[in-house]
Amino acid sequence: MNDLYLIYKNMTRKPLRLFLTCFAIFIAFLIFGAVTTLKSALDAGIDLAADNRLVVVNKINFTQPLPIAYAQKVAAVDGVENVTYANWFGGYYQEPRNQIVAMAVEPESWLQVYEREIVLSPERRAAWLGNRQGVIVGESLAQRLGWKIGDRVPVSSSIFSHKDGGHTWDFVVEGIFTGSDPQHDTNSMYLHFKYFMETQSFGGEWIGWITLTTADAAQNQRIADAIDDGFANSQAETDTSTEEAFSKAFIEQIGNIGLIIFGVVFMAFFTILILVGNTMALAVRERTGEIAVLKTLGFPAPRIFKMVLTESLLIALIGGLAGLGAAWLIIEGAKGTMAQFLPNLMLDSGIALQALLFMLLLGLITGLLPALNALRLNIVTAFNRG
Amino acid sequence: MRSLISRSLFTQTAAVTVMNIRSLPRRLWMSLAMVLASAVVVAILLAFLAMAKGFEATMSGAGSDAVALMMREGSQAELNSVISRDQVNLVEEAPGIARDAEGPLVSPELYVIVDGIKKSTGSKANIPLRGLDKRGMAMRGNMQLLEGRMFTPGTNEMIVGSGILREFDGFQLGNEIRFGKNVWTVVGVFSTGGNVFESELWADAKMIQSHYNRGSSYQTIRAQLENPGDLEPLTAYFDTESQLNLELKTEADYFAEQGKQLQYMAIFGRVISFIMALGALAGALNTMYTSVADRAKEIATLRTLGFSNFSAFCGTIAEALVLAIAGGLLGSLAAFVFFDGMNASTLGGSFTQVVFSFEMSPDLFVQGAVLALLIGFVSGFFPAWRAARMPVIVAFRNAA
Repeated sequence: MNDLYLIYKNMTRKPLRLFLTCFAIFIAFLIFGAVTTLKSALDAGIDLAADNRLVVVNKINFTQPLPIAYAQKVAAVDGVENVTYANWFGGYYQEPRNQIVAMAVEPESWLQVYEREIVLSPERRAAWLGNRQGVIVGESLAQRLGWKIGDRVPVSSSIFSHKDGGHTWDFVVEGIFTGSDPQHDTNSMYLHFKYFMETQSFGGEWIGWITLTTADAAQNQRIADAIDDGFANSQAETDTSTEEAFSKAFIEQIGNIGLIIFGVVFMAFFTILILVGNTMALAVRERTGEIAVLKTLGFPAPRIFKMVLTESLLIALIGGLAGLGAAWLIIEGAKGTMAQFLPNLMLDSGIALQALLFMLLLGLITGLLPALNALRLNIVTAFNRG
Repeated sequence: MRSLISRSLFTQTAAVTVMNIRSLPRRLWMSLAMVLASAVVVAILLAFLAMAKGFEATMSGAGSDAVALMMREGSQAELNSVISRDQVNLVEEAPGIARDAEGPLVSPELYVIVDGIKKSTGSKANIPLRGLDKRGMAMRGNMQLLEGRMFTPGTNEMIVGSGILREFDGFQLGNEIRFGKNVWTVVGVFSTGGNVFESELWADAKMIQSHYNRGSSYQTIRAQLENPGDLEPLTAYFDTESQLNLELKTEADYFAEQGKQLQYMAIFGRVISFIMALGALAGALNTMYTSVADRAKEIATLRTLGFSNFSAFCGTIAEALVLAIAGGLLGSLAAFVFFDGMNASTLGGSFTQVVFSFEMSPDLFVQGAVLALLIGFVSGFFPAWRAARMPVIVAFRNAA
């Protein structure tokens, strides 16, 4: 009789209890996997930000515009490599509810600054640059709306009005771009800034923000200060920060709500683990008499110790891995429908490893105490107690 | 005769129940585990519901049925909308709008976003700076000055909502605040009874037009209706004036829509707590099966003595219910202590911070109690079934 067979027999002596215990662990890790993925998707913008990109916005608030002349002044600052600028279009398709992330950008410089996030074939790139009415659309957005290259698409703005009346612009899809990394968000579209400015009714040459790259990330702070100092006391003061700090500040706006939710869910996760651990430890304690018999039969104490520990580790892994697998299935299933809000929904290896760590911890902690007890168990006292 | 039987059934059940509950300390850890499981599930459900409820109350409390809100069509939120002076003039001529000695009660307003520093994180967050006049303020029926005085039109003075004061740094009465090149002075603090307007800064509309290059344009128009809720005359008028391609709804409807925003929280909370409840149920079932196994001999003895299967069944269910309800109470209490009145702020529909408090209303407690009872009943039912059905001989043999 080998150890594994004994462990198997011990585990399955009460099939219902084994099932219930595994099920509770399954649920705990299902929730852990799903919620951690959700959280990392929310934070993804921060992780993906390039460290040598800076964002210049109006100091009053990033929704306030900047004069377009600022772009050239920023380009003149020492250490600045490429400069591009954009304006938020506030796009929607047909219904105001179908929002589209659409930005009016200066095409050539934008493609230069975001060369990793926007991958276009040379022909498509040339086609877009050559057509003022052209737009490029991210792969996932194009899929969502069923757009193909060459399509004429009406896109409305919730903010701007067309010079000819109405709020809808007709664009031509000239390219569909992908990112160089699957985590890159392709749920957006870009239009020509010039065309936008000439056709909207407000007039004036205003831009929403400037993005620039620096030659050396170590110089970021100096360059940011130089830009902000340069515009101090002008008609529009600026606030320059790294792209990472900017996205982080934006996510923080969602506020402590996120913190509260994740706090609550993790508390629940750990409570389930404590509850399950309690049951598992009790299950071993019930068998004190049997362990004494094994010892009497000549099983060495370390061997029993190993068996008890293996059993609890196995239970933790069975339930936990199944739960993690289910979480993965759910995430994969939800990806399509959630792409609009959370483009980076992905249960990656980091999260899986973290979950695995918790499974091992659960198995070890719940198994260790009963296993130690079994190790130290005195046969005579055990039989007296029984 | 029947009443006798039912009475004896009742006494039997009561006796078994009391016995089961008295023997709980013997299974202390397992019982505590079940209480905890039920407590956590209830607490989580209540936390999510209280968040959604608090947000909704803050939003919908702001909207009045007697006020019509007009925005550019398709703009969805006050922030995006643009309205020209001409359109304002046309609306002032519109029928169905209440008037007083000074003319129609129409309030053209501006909605600009500025930065504030959040107390909780020390980071920047969006705050709305609303430009309006005294007519606009009069339309917020429950508005009242808590401290200081009203701003003087034509000056860089502002009054701040009490929600802003709570969540953001530097807006105390008398402070000077710089937005870009302009310096504003806080001359008053106002309350609007806890609704979303308290998360705003208010200043003179004309000053904001000039500081933010808005020319003579506005963003939204509010109008006091002659008959609350009656938009008919306005709609008919809008149809005849081609310039007025505005979206028209009552303010109550607008904020009710915005309040739905955190409803996904309630849904998310329900889904999470439902899944959690399944996990907790597995734990609770384990507890109850153990409890029944532990008392198998007792139950068999009782049945040998002539107690009915039914009383053994009820006794076990009652035990599970008591544990689950204790957990439910504990969970509700914890949720109430930790979350009720908790201040939170998040991005609202207009891209600005909405300050709100978690609200633990009585109907939420009812939902928590229902959940606890459900957990108790299900986790008691199957073990109870087993306890009542096990042949007496088997029970004695196994227990021996």
